[in-house]
Amino acid sequence: MTANTSRNRPAEEDGSAELLSGTARDLPPGRHQFHKERLMAQIHDLQQAEHTAAAPMRERRRRLLRPAIALPLTAVALAAAVVVGLTRSDDGNGVRDYSPALTTTIGAASSKGVPQLLDQISLAAARSSSSRPDVEPGQYIYIKSESADSYVSNTDSGTSLAGHPLHTRQTWMSPDGTKGWLIDPAVNKSPEGETLSLPDEQGNTPKPSLNGPSYDYLTKLTTDPDKLLAKIYAETKGQGNSPDQEAFSTIGDLLVESYPPAELYPALFKAAEKIPGVVVVDDATDAAGRHGVAVARLDETSGERDEWIFDSKSHVFLGVRTVQVRKDSEDGALIPPGTILFTNAILERTVVDGIRQTPSAKS
Amino acid sequence: MRTRVRAGDPSAFAELFDSYANAVYNHAFRLTADWSVAEDVMAAAFLEAWRLRERVDPEGGSLRPWLLGIATNTARNQYRSNRRYRAAVDAAAAAELSVPDHADEVADRIDGRHRLATALTALARLRRPEREVVTLCLGEGLDYEAAAKALGIPVGTVASRLSRARRKLRDLTGTPPADGAPPKKVRGHREGTGLPRQTRGDHTHVIRPAQEGKR
Repeated sequence: MTANTSRNRPAEEDGSAELLSGTARDLPPGRHQFHKERLMAQIHDLQQAEHTAAAPMRERRRRLLRPAIALPLTAVALAAAVVVGLTRSDDGNGVRDYSPALTTTIGAASSKGVPQLLDQISLAAARSSSSRPDVEPGQYIYIKSESADSYVSNTDSGTSLAGHPLHTRQTWMSPDGTKGWLIDPAVNKSPEGETLSLPDEQGNTPKPSLNGPSYDYLTKLTTDPDKLLAKIYAETKGQGNSPDQEAFSTIGDLLVESYPPAELYPALFKAAEKIPGVVVVDDATDAAGRHGVAVARLDETSGERDEWIFDSKSHVFLGVRTVQVRKDSEDGALIPPGTILFTNAILERTVVDGIRQTPSAKS
Repeated sequence: MRTRVRAGDPSAFAELFDSYANAVYNHAFRLTADWSVAEDVMAAAFLEAWRLRERVDPEGGSLRPWLLGIATNTARNQYRSNRRYRAAVDAAAAAELSVPDHADEVADRIDGRHRLATALTALARLRRPEREVVTLCLGEGLDYEAAAKALGIPVGTVASRLSRARRKLRDLTGTPPADGAPPKKVRGHREGTGLPRQTRGDHTHVIRPAQEGKR
């Protein structure tokens, strides 16, 4: 540590900084959490006051692919109300105008045949995952997907439907979840992409969890469907709009941008079978345009349906999407039923030997 | 992060709080000389940050200087007069020093209490504007530009206030200018020039930028 006399480092110019070095201490135990919770409650109240919507603020689950770097889910109340189809490119972050919004025909849902379909899916999963290579230290899980989303954007000039049009997304993640790379024009317009390595910008190194699992973490999960489901319910307690929906969404997230170990993969579907309210949707199209059959669950609060799409013959997993199927009381004008809120189709999921190496470049 | 803050994403504020509550708390303490007032100022500053979120510059680095600036204003409203500050310092210093030094008390702690009292007494001799610059630059390690922005004053003013304050502090405490001994690291990180990554910000949307990796 050398004394830096640069003008930009006033604290290091002489010894006066040392004078203040004894004036720092952490908040007393418990006070951090206390003030944080109070702040979040106050923000929530202020939001409600700002959006005098009659309907109580609901929590909209963040639909997202959450690699290990994701912070644990906290309640995100979407503050919004809006106008259809018009989008603005205002955050400089790859949000493009697109009109009309992504829409789809809503497939017919039935609670009949759910266990049979999930059994078939589980078998197909066991078949496909048993031939998958394990991930060795030093290797990377490479996932290429096609993705798009829509959301209500709330800006100074009002609310509108915004989103990211279909685009290709590529991620590399080390099995321990500490090293990664992301190329996604919706996140970072640079063609090079950006790092996902830990610690993150705030210096945090989030521990892998159900909401942000690493491959290594997944290998340690129980493969007993009942125990797995119990763990999912326990660890997502209090999140989302209902425990069942949250459990379903949590499993859904594990299907997308992750590389479930061979024993776990079929168990995920066995566990999903036990969640009340799961239905079969006769027709659903993934982000790559592939038609299939879906296992789905309606979020009664938001009217959104999470759909896991599978090839109707081979029952291989294709992708996921979230569709507004019932009129939304708050954003109904902007998000009519049939709007696709999020869609992601897996194009490639494999193991490569280097970060930013694509399978085709593999020797 | 800036984009999310501007958009009013509550989780962004939760993250800000986790990252900077202690820094704001310590800064507020140096400006109020009272730990419990500092706690109130800290809490009020974060709520004020929520109210002012749309004024955040979309471009830039860490939001820590912005929060410290808000806390400075909040503390100022609490302690308009220097007389009150001095009274608080006297009370705090007395409290720190009135505890008899127990034989079994570790020397570090005794030393810490004395240092705290000395620091507060020194800060009390400064004029409030000088104290604000000192606490931002020397206490929290902001550079001139960041401190200027946080306080809404020109960079030159920060520099001149700081150098005046430094002179006073040296006179008061008899601290000689750096004499070869490496300066001790101030607690809390110094604000470097913003990393390009930090300026990249996040999205406004609910579909959370978990994929964005480094936030």
